[in-house]
Amino acid sequence: MNKLQQRHEYSVLWPLSRRAVADTNAAPRLPDLNGKTVCELWDVIFRGETIYPLVREYIKTRFPGVKFVGHAEFGNFHGAREHEVTAALPGKLRSHKADAAIVGIGA
Amino acid sequence: MLRAAAVAEKMGIPTASIIGSGFLKQAEVIIKGLGVPLAMGVYPGAPMVDSEQELRRKVEEELAPGLLRGLTGEAPRLPGAAAEPAPGQVVFSGTFDEVQEHFHRQLWTDGLPVVPPTRGRVDAFLKYTDRRPEEVIRAVQQEGREASILSIAVTGVMAGCRPEYMPVLIAVIEAMCDPKYRIEDSGSTPGWEPVVIVSGPIAKALDFNSGQGMMRVGRQANTSVGRFVRLYLRNICGFRIPPGAGDKGSIGQSFLVAMAEDEEAARAIGWPTFSEDRGFQSGENVVTVRSVVAITSPMYSGGDRAQTHVQQWAEIIGGSFTYWAHTGFKTGLWSPLIVAGPSIAKVVAGEWSKDQVRRYIYDHVKVTAERATHYARMTSTPTFNFENLVKDGILPPEYTASSDPQRLVNVIIKPEMVEILVAGDPGRNQSRAYMSNHIQGPTTSRRVELPKRWNELLAASRG
Repeated sequence: MNKLQQRHEYSVLWPLSRRAVADTNAAPRLPDLNGKTVCELWDVIFRGETIYPLVREYIKTRFPGVKFVGHAEFGNFHGAREHEVTAALPGKLRSHKADAAIVGIGA
Repeated sequence: MLRAAAVAEKMGIPTASIIGSGFLKQAEVIIKGLGVPLAMGVYPGAPMVDSEQELRRKVEEELAPGLLRGLTGEAPRLPGAAAEPAPGQVVFSGTFDEVQEHFHRQLWTDGLPVVPPTRGRVDAFLKYTDRRPEEVIRAVQQEGREASILSIAVTGVMAGCRPEYMPVLIAVIEAMCDPKYRIEDSGSTPGWEPVVIVSGPIAKALDFNSGQGMMRVGRQANTSVGRFVRLYLRNICGFRIPPGAGDKGSIGQSFLVAMAEDEEAARAIGWPTFSEDRGFQSGENVVTVRSVVAITSPMYSGGDRAQTHVQQWAEIIGGSFTYWAHTGFKTGLWSPLIVAGPSIAKVVAGEWSKDQVRRYIYDHVKVTAERATHYARMTSTPTFNFENLVKDGILPPEYTASSDPQRLVNVIIKPEMVEILVAGDPGRNQSRAYMSNHIQGPTTSRRVELPKRWNELLAASRG
């Protein structure tokens, strides 16, 4: 490389673009799940048919008054009808009076 | 998955998400892009390879306690984010080597040197569109960044494109920003790769190769447009492999150079062109983007009868893609793209229409229901069964015409899902087929919008 090439400088632009998302806070947590409804949202993969019942059992042991609503009520939010299922989620969560949700499975 | 959790959190409903330990880095990227802090319970390792006993232990000792903490403990918070530069801002000055080093350290390259995106070079690209640089096509996952005209120009410069490719690059990003394309799934573990198909007179005007060696790195238009797509996914969408995060392609594949159709050959044999199949008029400039998760071996076929060739295609497509059919069955969509060598296409077109080819492939590529179910269960879905998919209207009733596990079902769900494009070496009897990754990256087309002064600008670019 000659001296001229070594001296040549490039002023380069930022190659990313602006984040367009406004940050929000998480929903308030629920210290006591007794009397609360926990909805199960599942993308029907990665052994959720075994995992969700075990999780349910674990939580019920600690909060016997908790109620669960199974994934079939909500549909597969990562399948053939992903956009429709996701769009319908707020209405379904409201109709089941959801207090909390367990969402899976990313593995 | 985390997108569904974000929907609930925004409603004021606390969530805890189940996530494998190997996905935590990708989750961090997605959470930042969603702008919603999310609690997670972590499953150590991969649930698909654990024994029942091991799975139970991991759930009881690690996953379930984590989920419970996520619902009942302290609310999660977003990590602090450093202030970012403004679009179009100069962020570094240095020699060519210093620019490369800086960009590598920032994870802004694909591992190869990039063309430094100076203002002058970027402005040269912007001359080839009548749209404003700050115009935003859409905010794209997974970092939630703006797919702006400026970002297309900057990435085009870096990828080694020529300024006159800009109308094609804009159409590519518009297609990928179509919600049906699901750009947010570009980092899924199968490691699928987009392929761009350029149709119309612009392919020849910009010197895209549609002939021998079309898919080989080496022709500037095909190569740099393919590289542009991968760089855009990396920098604007945030799909980076380690030491970055966001791209979970388990093994993945390298970028695919762009395709173009040999439209003269297609017309000469009386077949509609690929873009006409997509609903566009002859002579329109069109860009199509679709996913490619698998490619056949070269499909050599001989003889002067149509069926001899198409039978060969059916056998090779069946052998290469049948394993992955369960993903199409689960989603109701997947499409093989046959790139038919011009000499073969001529023989086939002498007897058969494209629809006859599609029908033959549909009728002759089969798998037993038992085997397809086995493949689905091996991959990710122990609960896979045809009955539920038919009941939910995702598959047509013929898939459960009998309950015999040894019944043969069609690998291709509908004949019209078979796509055909004429390209490649006219001097050899070779074709190839490319399979999409079901509903992730389905075939999506956009018309290429040229600037008002296109002819003048193009003439100037050629000196």
